[in-house]
Amino acid sequence: MNEVCFKNLDKKNPASFATYESTGGYKVWRKILNGELTPEDILAELKTSGLRGRGGAGFPTGLKWSFMPRNQEGQKYVVCNSDEGEPGTCHDRDILRYNPHSVIEGMAIAGYVMNATVGYNYIRGEFMEPYYRFEEALKDAYDEGLLGKDIQGSAVSFDLYTHLGAGAYICGEETALLESLEGKKGQPRFKPPFPANVGLYGKPTTINNTETFANVPEILTRGGKWFADLGVENSGGTKCFSVTGNVKNPANFEVPMGTPFSKLLELAGGLKEGRTLKAVIPGGSSTPLLTADTAMNMTMDYDSIANAGSMLGAGSVIIMDDTTCMVKTLTRLAHFYYDESCGQCTPCREGTGWLYRVLQRILDGDGKNEDLDLLVSVGEKISGNTICALGDAAATPVESFIRHFRHEFEYYIKHGRSIVESEHHLIEEEAIV
Amino acid sequence: MSEIEFEIDGKLVFANQGDSIISIADREGIDVPRFCYHKKLSVAANCRMCLVDVEGVPKAQPACSTPVANGMKIHTRNDKAKSAQKAVMEFLLINHPLDCPICDQGGECELQDVAMEYGTDVSKFNLGKRIVADKGIGALIQTDMTRCIHCTRCVRFGAEVAGIVEMGGTGRGEGVKIEPFLTEGIQSELSGNMIDVCPVGALTSKPFRYEARTWQMNAVETIARHDLVGSNIYTQTYRGRVKRVVARDNELVNETWISDRDRFSYEGLNHESRALHPKIKKNNKWQETSWEIALDFAISGLKKNAQNADQLGVLASKNSTLEEYYLMQKLARGFGSENIDYRLDKANLSIGNTMLSNITLAEMESTDHALIVNSYLRLEQPMINHRIRKATLNGASVNTINNKKFDFNYQTDLEILSSPQKTLLMLQSILKSLHERTKTTVPKYLSKITVDDSQNKIADDLIAAERPVIILGEHVNSNISSSDIASIISEIAALANAKIANLSLNGNSLSAEKVGFKPSNNGKNAISMFTENTKAFLLMDVDFNYDFIDPKLAADTFNNDDVFVISLNSFEDEITLMNSDVILPLAGFYESSGTHINFDGVAQSFSASVKGPGDSKPGWKIIKVLADILELKGFEYTDSTQVADDALSMSSANNNDLVENNIKETDDSKVAVHWQYSPYAIDGITRKAKALQETPIGKMNDAFISLATAKELKLSEGDLYHGVPVSINETVAEGCVFVHTYQSRKG
Repeated sequence: MNEVCFKNLDKKNPASFATYESTGGYKVWRKILNGELTPEDILAELKTSGLRGRGGAGFPTGLKWSFMPRNQEGQKYVVCNSDEGEPGTCHDRDILRYNPHSVIEGMAIAGYVMNATVGYNYIRGEFMEPYYRFEEALKDAYDEGLLGKDIQGSAVSFDLYTHLGAGAYICGEETALLESLEGKKGQPRFKPPFPANVGLYGKPTTINNTETFANVPEILTRGGKWFADLGVENSGGTKCFSVTGNVKNPANFEVPMGTPFSKLLELAGGLKEGRTLKAVIPGGSSTPLLTADTAMNMTMDYDSIANAGSMLGAGSVIIMDDTTCMVKTLTRLAHFYYDESCGQCTPCREGTGWLYRVLQRILDGDGKNEDLDLLVSVGEKISGNTICALGDAAATPVESFIRHFRHEFEYYIKHGRSIVESEHHLIEEEAIV
Repeated sequence: MSEIEFEIDGKLVFANQGDSIISIADREGIDVPRFCYHKKLSVAANCRMCLVDVEGVPKAQPACSTPVANGMKIHTRNDKAKSAQKAVMEFLLINHPLDCPICDQGGECELQDVAMEYGTDVSKFNLGKRIVADKGIGALIQTDMTRCIHCTRCVRFGAEVAGIVEMGGTGRGEGVKIEPFLTEGIQSELSGNMIDVCPVGALTSKPFRYEARTWQMNAVETIARHDLVGSNIYTQTYRGRVKRVVARDNELVNETWISDRDRFSYEGLNHESRALHPKIKKNNKWQETSWEIALDFAISGLKKNAQNADQLGVLASKNSTLEEYYLMQKLARGFGSENIDYRLDKANLSIGNTMLSNITLAEMESTDHALIVNSYLRLEQPMINHRIRKATLNGASVNTINNKKFDFNYQTDLEILSSPQKTLLMLQSILKSLHERTKTTVPKYLSKITVDDSQNKIADDLIAAERPVIILGEHVNSNISSSDIASIISEIAALANAKIANLSLNGNSLSAEKVGFKPSNNGKNAISMFTENTKAFLLMDVDFNYDFIDPKLAADTFNNDDVFVISLNSFEDEITLMNSDVILPLAGFYESSGTHINFDGVAQSFSASVKGPGDSKPGWKIIKVLADILELKGFEYTDSTQVADDALSMSSANNNDLVENNIKETDDSKVAVHWQYSPYAIDGITRKAKALQETPIGKMNDAFISLATAKELKLSEGDLYHGVPVSINETVAEGCVFVHTYQSRKG
């Protein structure tokens, strides 16, 4: 556990430059500055490692980097997406807090590979402490002469800037992030063109997630094969999971890909006494909900979770036990997407409010039998028809919650109250008797 | 540009790299529903209405933002495409008020049209609808933002075409509102186009509000003739009145846009001061009468007062039609008078004052450098300014030489302030600089001229450009040196290989020039008519307060009891009644057929949209009958097109006869004045268009003077300068008063 991104967690001052350097940090970067590594070497190693984008989409990183027109004239950019806003995730925050230099080095390496001399780390607006930690690390890196122009006479240049967002979930969408970074309202751009061709300020840009960048230096230090072997086929390396919800010990865990879900649950201390597992959202609120049985049989890697009917996503594992009311949970999620929709395109602007209001109506005891079909149909009409994935993300939980727990919704509509509360109420009554 | 071959709805088609699906569908006549897409605006892809099925792509793709590719198979109406389109339609309608019966857009609403095909009769949405409070945005545009579908066409229009970002999307999610950032009202001179681009009833015409239903009106193709462009428009009429004006596409002229002036000026037609019946003044008393009596009265008065043909003066405004100019000059010349003129607002009437343009409207947008002299182009010629703005977006640079600094909607490089009396000298310096730079012989008359850095830069920029244009604007008209200025500009253009755009000939001036509507040889011009014994006047559409460069000089003549004045006029205000002896009610804009010759030299003919009110008659008919009564030959016309044919077959008067340079020293010890009417006060009909007058542009009323000049004139801030409040302002050249106002000069 904790072999890559969190490998220094048990050390004193894990975030400091000294700690990072003492465990092999900046070795790769210094090699680059000495001219001992070519971009082709790095790309080959990344492809071997099987590293896939950790932000949620899981696109192979080596391939993504090779798409950048590195020989094209003009400015190019590397951007790190630290706008970690997916409900249930908090591991990027801890990478920034405890291992910021790995992100800096990873971004610098990316800049070198793609011939981009400027990078930006876009940090979520609420992340004040990570922001200061990262800024501090950045200052150290500059002080050590590892960043800047013509670094140590190597003709390699890389300047890195930190940008604090303003708290909009949508800015975690890469093109909305670029708009926000340019000083505009955070609204996704339509694609094509993709950022690799027309990105920040219209220049070729590569955007990766914090954890992705943090993995890169270690992969290049210890080799792509070493990293790939940590995980399983098609899912190389380790993955940071944030385990939250009804567990005894909610926390971040970096475990090898392919770790059984049951093992992860155990690491988080298991369920509270007397509770049973009801459902799991494996990859953040935008990924489909899984029932307990399915979840207990899967391993934590891209393919196994996909086979189970969901997605690895951002690795935010939300655990729900038998006290969880699915109607309330879904309503809360629907409110989140309704609140965070940027309002640019029609299906999401109009549809997220519709979903939320119908769910709230059920919660208020005014639900109708046809509401469930309505919810599913509205979700289907949003899905796939929007500029960015927020629309899909809003529709996904609606569909999966209703599919797996339709009876709970029907009960709520019929009785005006939650089946879960009723059951617990009965249990308590029986105890009194 | 490589050819791409692909299939759309089973049809094999070809396109170029980068073409969007929707543009090819439009070309092929395949109807793809859309709201946010507009061919003249950037792609937003936000309405999602144009989703189509691209084989092999799991999600439906927006036709507006998806480029075509080789071998693509696109289906615009299969189940997948249709269900995506219907889904979007449903979302668009849930919060739309569906108040079509009381919406002015009803009948021409894109949402209504598309909903007919893609909507359902019964909505599944049974929650409360969103309501949006309206901010007033001025006198021209009515907002009902509850109807807004957030397509952002108006926002993009402002940012991309008008060049002023006035509307924007504030808020997020369901709370997104399209609204102006400021509350003073929309400022742009092109704002009315937002009404045209709005697909729903969120932005509609305020003066037209509740006037008629769209399907009740007739649309008549016609031409707007307030400026040199001759924008193509439709007048929409109901029960014999023009109710609304909208743009008509013509890529070569106005593309798809029109100025607010062209759009809203029609209101003036329905003004209460319209002249409805012929009137004659007998014993200083006005009486309404029949056409027969009025015409006889007019001719007998004319014959009595102008016993010598040379005592007749014939004047027309610069907005008359080609036919009117032609017949009037024919009448005057047939009668034996050469006293003909339309140049009422020019200080210098020497013959060599008509420098011709040699660039077209469409060519203007591919220029790479413009030198603007004496023009507030944005307000005075909005559609030409739009072409220059497009050029600047492609990298063209702009320098200006003006009496005052103006607010252009693009970046200007060098803005030189020069008072009217120093403008000639300024241009001579530039000419000298050009001679020095091109190593050509400096003519003798420039030997004493000095050249400074900014003049050198202007010369350098002209030389460095590949396709430069020099634009001469209408502020030069009040300049006594205007003909010398024109001739220096011609020389500059020749040396710098620059094109010339002479915008000092405004309105329908080019028609007047075409038929020689100005004195030749011994004739009296629009100034000398008032000083040299003219006893009878025939006036066409002349406003005594506004039109003359020296209104006092004109008034003194007209008021004289032994001067007989026949006014063909659409309006009978106090001053018209005071100065005339006969009023023959004239059909106004859109009430008469005619022809306008535009900047490109294109004669655009139009028919009457409505009949003139009351007994008013088209000008060409009135002149024809006057000529008949005078028993002149050659007026056997039954249709205005016959007049136009004759007029257009005239060989052009010798227009390009620039006089030899004969530069006189200008007196720069005096303070020069330029009286510039607001763009909404340039002719009778705009001045009487109520809504235009209520806009920020319509209300402009300032006499701009620099502090030093104000001291010299003993004026301070807020004092009245000939009726206009003084504004002490350092953006105006020293030694000049630049009056920008809707008012005519008092005192």
